[in-house]
Amino acid sequence: MKQQILMPKLRPGMEKGVLCSWSVRPGERVEKGDVLFEVETDKVVSQIESNLSGVVSGFLADEGDEVAVGEPVATLETER
Amino acid sequence: MDKKPAWLKVSYNQEAVEEIAHLMRDLNLNTVCREANCPNIGECYRKHTATFMILGSRCTRNCRFCNVRCGLPDEVDPEEPQNVARAAKALRLKHAVVTSVTRDDLPDGGALHFANVVRAIREACPETTVEVLIPDLKGDERSLDAVLAARPDVLNHNIETVRELYAAVRPEAVYERSLGVLRYCKQSRPDILTKTGFMVGLGETDVEIGRLMDDVLATGCDILTIGQYLRPSPEHAELKRYAAPEDFERYRGAALQKGFKYVASAPLARSSYRAHEALEAVRAESGRPS
Repeated sequence: MKQQILMPKLRPGMEKGVLCSWSVRPGERVEKGDVLFEVETDKVVSQIESNLSGVVSGFLADEGDEVAVGEPVATLETER
Repeated sequence: MDKKPAWLKVSYNQEAVEEIAHLMRDLNLNTVCREANCPNIGECYRKHTATFMILGSRCTRNCRFCNVRCGLPDEVDPEEPQNVARAAKALRLKHAVVTSVTRDDLPDGGALHFANVVRAIREACPETTVEVLIPDLKGDERSLDAVLAARPDVLNHNIETVRELYAAVRPEAVYERSLGVLRYCKQSRPDILTKTGFMVGLGETDVEIGRLMDDVLATGCDILTIGQYLRPSPEHAELKRYAAPEDFERYRGAALQKGFKYVASAPLARSSYRAHEALEAVRAESGRPS
């Protein structure tokens, strides 16, 4: 099943986040808890962990892109 | 946005954060983790720890380093002590940390409410140790007595920055008054551990930091935390520098040498971060059970 990975809301009032780097590649298998990408906020760089296990099927955002909270940044093919 | 040094990376798990956030919302509670945009929220929420922020979500002071909103304060929720206790029980907290916004509008600054929260946690979770991170309560001794009467295990009050930067960073607070809070609490109740913390990166010098440590130690303070100031937004106090992990090690060494019983010093150290470890370490040192 194809699942979307969304830009998380890291703090109250956050509307957009800069996806500063990918930690995985398309086609790579990830387990729940693996770091998918990094988002830079005013204070720190947050490493966003996957809530699902599956195979990264595609990126919907590039490194350096500013993405609105709740918008998809990648798709993941899961087993269920 | 300035470039972040490599050591300012944190993990974030949406599921873990939402689990705790839902619990807090259901019980009408605030956490300083959320309101102050703490960088450690991912780690702490995943470990099922959180720092409760009582007395509403709006502060009556407008410190230039802090992300908590300033504004007309909320009504005090009489259910809050019981709700904090319920959350502490649900999270099976070994150590509960309770802080608040500053409530200069209340005659006692919220001291009795603090005490009620401590007592409610004690009743619901007798094994849980309790740390209060209080505002200065305007240095009022009766208010401080009210908090101390509830016998928290740790009384924390943050000095936040060096004396020289108070006017610029903490204009509504007074350096001497904060020292007075720590001194009075230790003198009144020597059995309660006292704790304070400050930030680096606001423009302070090493000499000023050394003086701050001396001033704080002279109050009898037991535990010190030192962390990096992280600017919440461009409207907040300017970030002057990122101190390296080696700098924090140096500060830790200096503070221990001066005589603090426990020092947490690291870029992402915050006053409530791994607070239970500090309490356990000091109690182990003094031969008291935790």
